[in-house]
Amino acid sequence: MTPGAWIAWVTLVMVVALATTNPLYLGIVLLCVVLVAAFAPRTGTGATSFRALVVFGLVMMAVSLFVATVNGSYGDHVLFTVPGPSIPRWLGGLHLGGPVSAEGLAAASIRGTAILCVLFAFGVFNGAVSPHRVLRSTPAALFHASLIVTVGLTLLPSSIEDLRRIREMRALRGARTGVRELPALVVPAVIGGLERSMRLAEAMEARGYAASARPPLLPRLAAAASAPLLIAASWTWFYSEDWRWLGAVFALAGAGCLGWWFVAANRAQRTTRFRTEPTPLVERLAIVASLAGCVAVLALRFLGEANMTYNPFAGLPPLTMSPLGAAVALLCAWPAAVLLFQPDATTERAPEAEPSFAQDPAR
Amino acid sequence: MTLATIAGLSYWYPGSEAPALRDINLTLESGDFALLAGRSAGGKSTLLRVFNGLVPQFHGGRMTGLATVAGHNPARTPSRQMALTAGMVFQEPEAQAVAETVEEEVAFGLEQQAVERSEIARRLDAALGAISIEHLRHRRLHTLSGGERQRVALASVLALEPRLLLLDEPTSQLDPAGAEALVAALERTRQQRDVCILVAEHRLERLLPSVNRVVEVAGGAATAMTAEEAALGLESVPPATWLARTHAGSPAISLEAARRVLPALAAAAIAPPAPGDALLEAAGLTVAYGEHIALRDASFTLREGEVVALTGANGSGKSTLFRALTGLARLHAGTFRYPRHGTDQGSGTRAITANAGLVPQDPAIALYHESVREELAETLRNRGKHRPAPADVTATAARWGIEQLAAANPRDVSVGQQQRVAIAAMLAHDPAVWLLDEPTRGADGPAKAWLAGRLREHAAGGGAAIVATHDVESAAQYATRVVGLREGVIEFDLPARQAFAADGPLPTQTARLVPGAITIDEVRRA
Repeated sequence: MTPGAWIAWVTLVMVVALATTNPLYLGIVLLCVVLVAAFAPRTGTGATSFRALVVFGLVMMAVSLFVATVNGSYGDHVLFTVPGPSIPRWLGGLHLGGPVSAEGLAAASIRGTAILCVLFAFGVFNGAVSPHRVLRSTPAALFHASLIVTVGLTLLPSSIEDLRRIREMRALRGARTGVRELPALVVPAVIGGLERSMRLAEAMEARGYAASARPPLLPRLAAAASAPLLIAASWTWFYSEDWRWLGAVFALAGAGCLGWWFVAANRAQRTTRFRTEPTPLVERLAIVASLAGCVAVLALRFLGEANMTYNPFAGLPPLTMSPLGAAVALLCAWPAAVLLFQPDATTERAPEAEPSFAQDPAR
Repeated sequence: MTLATIAGLSYWYPGSEAPALRDINLTLESGDFALLAGRSAGGKSTLLRVFNGLVPQFHGGRMTGLATVAGHNPARTPSRQMALTAGMVFQEPEAQAVAETVEEEVAFGLEQQAVERSEIARRLDAALGAISIEHLRHRRLHTLSGGERQRVALASVLALEPRLLLLDEPTSQLDPAGAEALVAALERTRQQRDVCILVAEHRLERLLPSVNRVVEVAGGAATAMTAEEAALGLESVPPATWLARTHAGSPAISLEAARRVLPALAAAAIAPPAPGDALLEAAGLTVAYGEHIALRDASFTLREGEVVALTGANGSGKSTLFRALTGLARLHAGTFRYPRHGTDQGSGTRAITANAGLVPQDPAIALYHESVREELAETLRNRGKHRPAPADVTATAARWGIEQLAAANPRDVSVGQQQRVAIAAMLAHDPAVWLLDEPTRGADGPAKAWLAGRLREHAAGGGAAIVATHDVESAAQYATRVVGLREGVIEFDLPARQAFAADGPLPTQTARLVPGAITIDEVRRA
């Protein structure tokens, strides 16, 4: 699958998971993400962060539940009561412990599940696509910005490796570990990282890498004008119902300015791409479907249709869902279908011989 | 045809009073293969960077005089354009790559130049073919060995079809096989293309026979000469060249040339002192990283007075052995013991290294104090001397020959001095066993000679050392014994005399010229 398709999928998962508070839909989304994870390749350089993100998501879930428990909660279905002090109302009225209700725990799990869905999806994306592949498919206008990010991401592991080596050297010199040792670790790591960046910058300059060519003056002014326009747009939109039409005009004008700059910057950029990944028809359709799904979910949410929201504090009402909402949530599983029928070709393109062990230490 | 000229050029780095280059006059012809030789910090790297404009465009500073490369003034030409004229390969393979796979890396420079896609495809094939790395085309860079990565760096520069190729100590980080492959790739490039190659390098054995010109750079001044003149005039030359110079008074750029001119020579072998009590006993050491077994069943004993040269290609397990012996790597099986202090595999790194100091590769990255004196004092303090007396610190500095640097900031001294300071900081507490991981990587002749002297001194004082190295000639100067590792297994464990002999696994140049001798110090006129 192409990076563009993966980005469309992550966006879809994110929008659906954050737009709904209905546990049934969230459950569907979570199951879809797990299904995709089962089919997704783990060849990207971010494959190691997959586990970390999943663990982080689970921890967030646990923290969410823990806070709900410690804080106590209101609601009619009290499960148990945690003893704890209360601060008098005139000191702020905070209290720890107290009755823990099923409603409170339900609300906490809903929040936790949404976060878990998003983090899990990012983990899958990281594992499936390396930043270099994303770089290859960015539009020319954003090429240099993304190159900087990509190179930064490539330098990160070596900086972590530096920290590990410096810690070892400290131990070899008999240093004790502790907070006071922090400068001895951080100072050389930062200096080493800076020196490495300078060497890389020098090598890139020697190979003719120059800062991106700038688009003409007018599009640049337009880009600068888009920020105040968009701020004005959101301000007028939320200020008063009567002025929303003006907000919409400002938003359109801001978006138009940005679009103009984007086109001009694309044109000004004088570089070529040797290898671009063509997007197969199936994936193009899937990208369009994802975007449509995002719009549909937001529309359903704002129109109050399809049981998108669920409020456990209204006495734990029974869970319901509509076929339309379920269909949009199920859309999150599309990469599984694509990967099932055409396993990732890009992983086969790069036949990896056995890893060389150019460096001895544990990697 | 003249490709590049430098006339009356001097250069000062920003904030520096003394010039890094002084009054350089130099001409390079198309088709030249030129070597920049000379001590570290003498100005080789700076001079190299004048040719593609990194000096002064990237580094800043002040320059007088004029450089011209293929009609361009590199000091003023934008880097985008200059890259098409002069391409550069740097010392560290890791610090010059931006892409993920070999193909993307080689195409990167061409993409920056907005070269058409079909043309990129053609040049990719040509560049990969020119140095025989087509098979690496779709590999990821981080899975390649250092030597392979350095050849990829060369290919990505060749793809731009520059007329001048600059290389800054390109083999200093490579094992002998990797260095050999790179130099062979350079020779092939020179035959196939109309290009001038300029290499700054300390390892001359392999390069001296290939080059047609040598530029000696010392103290910022440059002297151009032929390879033959260099064989007679350079300060540090390979042993064969040295023998031909001192015993026959004639220039020899290769082993074969030396053999032709040398008179009959005899060996006066210098016997190493007899080993004393055991300082380290290791049995059946095995270390695994996941599936990969990095070290398998290694057993040996290290005795007082012994200096072991530990050899083997990159990835053969040398660093792993050191990590195992200092408690940094978890042992899968096996035991070790330092009898004098009673520490063993269960003791922990701090306790073990009180008696066995390990100097890892690039130790200078761990320096962080404001002065050399504080760096030394810290190690002494960590090792139990609560408040080390100034006299102790001074004595340590003197032992390592850095007393005149005591007040200097370790980040301000030259690379060679920094290396020396870092080694001194790791070994300031004077442990009986030294474990050194490639301490002569990228070092020049005098620095290697100094370290050899230091090792002999340590052994004579009842200490012992294991030194991981690729540098056979310099190892012959100090080693009493040689252990060869191959894919994690000890392949041979021989006395130095046997290992470095003409029929041994690692013959030195001297041994191949003078039977019975392994270093130039052992050669006498017959």
